[in-house]
Amino acid sequence: MTVSTSTSNKTQSYGVQSTGPANIVEIFKFMRLTIIWLSIIFGAVWGACWLFGVVLPACVEGFGLPAEISQTIRYFVPLVAIMVFIPINAMFMVLFERRALALFTVRKGPNRVGPDGLLQTAADAVKLLLKEDITPRGADAFMFTLAPIIFFAPSIFGCIPLLAAATGDHRLFSIANLPTGIFYVLAASSIPVVALVMAGWASNNKYSLVGGLRAAAQAISYEIPLVLSLVTICLLAGSLDVVEIAQQQVGGFLHWNILGAGKLLAVSQASPITFVTAPLLAICCILLFWLYMTGACAEINRIPFDLPEAESELVSGYNTEYSGIKFAIFFLAEFTNLFVVSAIATVMFLGGGESPIPGFLDTGFFVSVMGTLNSLLQPVPALQWLLNSLVDPATLSCVFWAVTKIYLIVFFAILIRGTLPRFRIDQLMDFSWKRLIPLVLILFLAVAYLRELV
Amino acid sequence: MAVNVGNDQLKTDEMIINMGPQHPATHGVLRLLLTLDGEMVRNVEPVIGHLHRAQEWQGQNRTWFQYQALIDRVDYLSGMFTSWALARAAEHIEGIKISPRAEYLRVMVSEMNRITSHLLWLGTYLIDLGAMFGFPFYPFREREKLLDLLEAVAGQRMMFNYIRIGGVQCNPPLGWFDKLKRFTEEFPDRVDEYEAIVTENPIFLKRTKGIGRLSKSVAMDYGVTGPTLRASGVNLDLRRTKPYSVYDQLKFEVPVLEGDGDTWARYTCRIREMRESNKIIKQCIEKIPGGTTEEIRKLGDEANKDENLKLMAKKQNSGLRVKAGEGFAAVESPRGTLGCYIISNGSDKAYRFKWRNPSFSNLSVLPELLVGHPIADIMAIFGSIDVILPDVDR
Amino acid sequence: MFGLLARSIESLYQVTRGLKTVFQHSFRQPITKEYPDRMPDLPGAFRGRLSLTVNPNTGEHLCISCLQCERVCPDKCIQITSHKSPETNKPELIEFKIDHGLCMFCGLCTEVCPTTCIINTNDFEMADYTRESLVYDLKKLTLTQEESAFYFSKKELPLPKPKPAKPAAAAAPAAAKAEKPGQPAVKPADTAKEDKPKEGEGKE
Repeated sequence: MTVSTSTSNKTQSYGVQSTGPANIVEIFKFMRLTIIWLSIIFGAVWGACWLFGVVLPACVEGFGLPAEISQTIRYFVPLVAIMVFIPINAMFMVLFERRALALFTVRKGPNRVGPDGLLQTAADAVKLLLKEDITPRGADAFMFTLAPIIFFAPSIFGCIPLLAAATGDHRLFSIANLPTGIFYVLAASSIPVVALVMAGWASNNKYSLVGGLRAAAQAISYEIPLVLSLVTICLLAGSLDVVEIAQQQVGGFLHWNILGAGKLLAVSQASPITFVTAPLLAICCILLFWLYMTGACAEINRIPFDLPEAESELVSGYNTEYSGIKFAIFFLAEFTNLFVVSAIATVMFLGGGESPIPGFLDTGFFVSVMGTLNSLLQPVPALQWLLNSLVDPATLSCVFWAVTKIYLIVFFAILIRGTLPRFRIDQLMDFSWKRLIPLVLILFLAVAYLRELV
Repeated sequence: MAVNVGNDQLKTDEMIINMGPQHPATHGVLRLLLTLDGEMVRNVEPVIGHLHRAQEWQGQNRTWFQYQALIDRVDYLSGMFTSWALARAAEHIEGIKISPRAEYLRVMVSEMNRITSHLLWLGTYLIDLGAMFGFPFYPFREREKLLDLLEAVAGQRMMFNYIRIGGVQCNPPLGWFDKLKRFTEEFPDRVDEYEAIVTENPIFLKRTKGIGRLSKSVAMDYGVTGPTLRASGVNLDLRRTKPYSVYDQLKFEVPVLEGDGDTWARYTCRIREMRESNKIIKQCIEKIPGGTTEEIRKLGDEANKDENLKLMAKKQNSGLRVKAGEGFAAVESPRGTLGCYIISNGSDKAYRFKWRNPSFSNLSVLPELLVGHPIADIMAIFGSIDVILPDVDR
Repeated sequence: MFGLLARSIESLYQVTRGLKTVFQHSFRQPITKEYPDRMPDLPGAFRGRLSLTVNPNTGEHLCISCLQCERVCPDKCIQITSHKSPETNKPELIEFKIDHGLCMFCGLCTEVCPTTCIINTNDFEMADYTRESLVYDLKKLTLTQEESAFYFSKKELPLPKPKPAKPAAAAAPAAAKAEKPGQPAVKPADTAKEDKPKEGEGKE
């Protein structure tokens, strides 16, 4: 029982418009939070990879054991990286999304747990894990449990080939690469919809069932423009290997697939037709990127295509009956999927781990930084060894740019989420079958011709 | 569900779904008994009454003074209008003339309340359409400012108890008029922002254009009023057709949309109404007799003697009585015509109350609108007629 | 075909306009009210927890046990116990109970009070663990002299005239008030700072 008015110097007056300077403080906090979290994530992943890729094999060889064992340990590195990466990253992405939405909606966002709300999602995760795990009466318990697992698993093994592309084909990760990498990723990413139907069916709830069926219909419809747009890019690149596609785009943003894979630079007086075809190709590729993002948004059920979990219609869709750890897994997988589709977009369209402007924070820069550090650590050889075994400047620059681009795409997805309302299910189907699929087929033909003409 | 392969027909059953009263999007406790064929609505049965609080009966068992404090709860988003309807009906029986200053204050707070109500509708409507994370915060931001101002004058944010039988409760506090003026100046820009995000958005257009068409004749048959009716092309606004209070001295337009009467028209009508309400408030600030509270304070005792500036024509205490007689008064609430019918027998309690609530008649037209639409349109249509469930059930 | 193209471009433009407007909002000051950290500055008319004032100058309890508030309360949440003082033959307050669990904060009791004794304070933090603890007794309801002075100035109420003599009658409630623990007093400096520029015209 306090007299609330007595704290006169710390009150907010009523009805007063907040007309202050631009919101620099909150943006700064947002950036700081992003940088801190990303450092934590990549520090952890980097450390785990270093442990499994360098330290453990070195120890094994030091004990005089055969080289096969150390090699086997090295094979585990991609898996370890993914396993460490996914949970922490999903936690960060939830916080990232919440803070970004708070910025868009002139709020402060979560800022109570930890400094600036840094640990908010960690606390949420703990809360979800400690919650009671309820299986509703009449539900098919086995399917009900299996659904989140099937939903989550593909996002783990689906993004393994992307690791090789995002690390610039580092020797520890190149074993994860496949010659048909992109199709492996797409195949893996189309499995989760089975889980949604399972979850909807097993929940013994009409809303869940409708949600699951919607998810199936939507995934089938939007897989086509999604895959066809990536096929077109593969056609342009002439390869299915994600590493190769990424490496073809080296040399600044004009070489990226989104701008026609460097064909804009091939414009010359010798063949005047290129003045028409090269920009056309670039436009086609931008459209393809847009198509891909649209399809991807629908694939991972984000606004404006979040019909399977449309709150105003279906309560929460397929995950209405889920709680506790199963819901946490659904939640985790949703955000991981967002990350994966952004990663695919980065590798396929935005040049993977390449700097957009040659010479700006690219490998050379990181190499020079490493050189400086090396010379500074000259007197302590142990530290120097540690640094050199830990950091590979080429990989560092590659990861840096890949992550920057991925999170820019994620940010854009959040912006879309903050703006657009939701489609209706029949309009969604119309949009896919009557607009996107014809468009992507036209673009496929156009790109097939244009790449020959340029 | 039996599937007969070999037979040409695929036999399907209709599915019955209970939407509400616990559904996250039914704006309260409406229960819709839906018969679905796939995703298409074949039949709708709204089940109301979950919030029935016997508001009329309560009025007959409480003194006038006590009941004034209760009726804000009938329609909690526009409490000023219920108070106003009651006050006007009682004043009609008594034959009291309200001083111009009190009338202007009534108009100002009511129009502010109309804006808050429409802003809340706008935010929740976009939530119904699925824009759940960004846009709804913007209208609520402006609503918060207005509610703060209303709180400063009436004491609470939604249960105002400000408009009384015989006038208004008090003058606004010092500095209130300036703050309100600042708000009215920046509010049109904010509405422009809403419109930039929503009005021409292709997805929004797809979700609202041509959805839930309410024709003129059907709307009139069901007794639909308010923006829902005006969006269907009927020019019925009590502020204009039957001017009460000081509305005949104010310049404003009544937005009437010719055409389909679809959900988009209802949206547009409310957006325009907000702008008009803002204009009304602006004019009131200029025209109000006695000016701002600061000027009234300067007058000192003269203000209490001046008939034009007197706020209350009746003593507000537990002995508040209304002469024997009967009276009806209606005001244009954000949801439509809000009527109050009173029979008084001269004691400290009314003999009979009857409320004519706009939400009730507006809700009754819902089955007409919903049948034949997919399940996703239920909320788009139901949200667009802007029903407050406590107002329906009373 | 051409119409479709035009419509698509128009749609894209409109979506971009929406995105731009939303994005621009991230450069505005947040409007979050940091409530537990910063208390809201409520207007004087705010109807919060009910309290009984004392005369800010002399400290005598203002309640005259006229039972007006008890009678007018729509929720019947006020309960007053009083008896006729054998010396003066006037009602004398013994106990005053308000069940804040029933109260709907309509403020009618404050309007009818002839001595402006019962008032709505600006306090709204009354959450408690039991229903019983929401029933406030005289000791909990009565404000200190400083708090009364604060609210009298904030709500711009006319200051009460001191009661004619009889210090014995006022002694009992005054004593009860004196030993009241845990009521953080309003600092006079704060009071002075707040009441000058502030709104809150209470009632007329």
